[in-house]
Amino acid sequence: MARSGLDVIMINVWENAAPQVEAADFAAVWDIGATVLLDTTGGYAARLGIRGVPTNVLVDDHGIVRMVGGTTPAELDAAVRNLLAED
Amino acid sequence: MHMEQRQTPAQGPACAIGHSPGVRVHCPVGKGPEAVVSDPDRRRVFVACSRDNAVTALDLDRAVPVWRAGVGREPIPIVLDKPTERLFTADARSDTVSVLDAGTGDRVAQIPVGAYPAGLGHDPGRRRLFVGNTAGGTITVVDTDRLTVQGTVPAEPGAGSIAVVPGSGRGYCANFLAGSVTVFDADTLQPLGRIAVREGPCKVVADPAARHLYVANSLHGTISRVSLDSDAVLDEVPVERAPVGMCVDAAGRRLYVCNRGAGTVSVLDTGSGRESHRIVVGNAPGDCALDPVTGTLVVSNAGSGTLTFVDRPWLPAGPAPRTEHPLVGQPLPDFELPDLRGGRIRTTREWAEKRYVINFFASW
Repeated sequence: MARSGLDVIMINVWENAAPQVEAADFAAVWDIGATVLLDTTGGYAARLGIRGVPTNVLVDDHGIVRMVGGTTPAELDAAVRNLLAED
Repeated sequence: MHMEQRQTPAQGPACAIGHSPGVRVHCPVGKGPEAVVSDPDRRRVFVACSRDNAVTALDLDRAVPVWRAGVGREPIPIVLDKPTERLFTADARSDTVSVLDAGTGDRVAQIPVGAYPAGLGHDPGRRRLFVGNTAGGTITVVDTDRLTVQGTVPAEPGAGSIAVVPGSGRGYCANFLAGSVTVFDADTLQPLGRIAVREGPCKVVADPAARHLYVANSLHGTISRVSLDSDAVLDEVPVERAPVGMCVDAAGRRLYVCNRGAGTVSVLDTGSGRESHRIVVGNAPGDCALDPVTGTLVVSNAGSGTLTFVDRPWLPAGPAPRTEHPLVGQPLPDFELPDLRGGRIRTTREWAEKRYVINFFASW
């Protein structure tokens, strides 16, 4: 992702118990180098109308949401390719 | 729609009335509710609350908690053995199976099994419980009467959910990390073969009436329909994001699929393999069970900490689901959230004029 000029922000939600510990363990197990933020109340996910995990939200360089959903590799690849082709 | 996180039933408020078509009620049950099983005779439903290390029993008609019992760490699947009226959970982080009296919640036994048991299968006729050891890539076989380990069946990495077909005695184990299903003989405990499916198979359900096995490919967004006669993959039915839980009605007509990534249940016609409609439930639904007496579908929502009771779930009701999320084309609402590493508050301003993808995730 970094190569293609796209930042990745991971937001942890609905952890139920010890979000900081669980998210840190998860990031370590899966070797996640991306930024990881904690939405401990689920408030930000609710504002975006997110109802499940995993969910991806693709944002363009004007701050406009271009896609919500797309978690299979094929869906995400297609959406990202479209966005990056706009140069 | 009732969304916010609720407290455990002991302290929690009453159930919230559902506002979606067919949805009767959302009932708080505890943290991280995963697998759910119903007992229509005794009018109970049981749910494994993975983040409370507990099982909650509810009245199936009134949708209120009846008892709550501690088990091992992170119980995910749950099975009801009717002949003994006992519940079995697999405690993923304790490497045990806990056995409870279904009437009272009293602990009967705790049985050591393999590494990170995250799935179970039940064969009441042969008196066997099969335990999918996800980190071990094996299946532990437990005698449901003596509560002893009888043997181990080799499977593949990510072994979890297991289904046994009563007549043929063939067992099927979903291997999450291998993208496969291990077929084994539930009598001799010998492996019989392997079925290649799609990415992240998370749950298998046998449907003897329709002669199908259904496999939820959680990372592919599809359900594989497999012939129980030939073990051949018949087709793949697209559903929504991250299908992880399923149940089928006794007649084998409808399959209900919990889409953890979308907060919905897809209803599939098993004959045609078509999705007839979707039901909006709580956040991150992980499993569902039917009450064969009333037809009510009970859905556990890991993100909301609730069970959703859906009456007449086979009836398509309400407007067609949106195909596009309402946020698409709109400015992203600003965030101010702490960074996992160091706790510094990060805001959308840092990413102004950048292209980025936000991935909402939970460790479960």
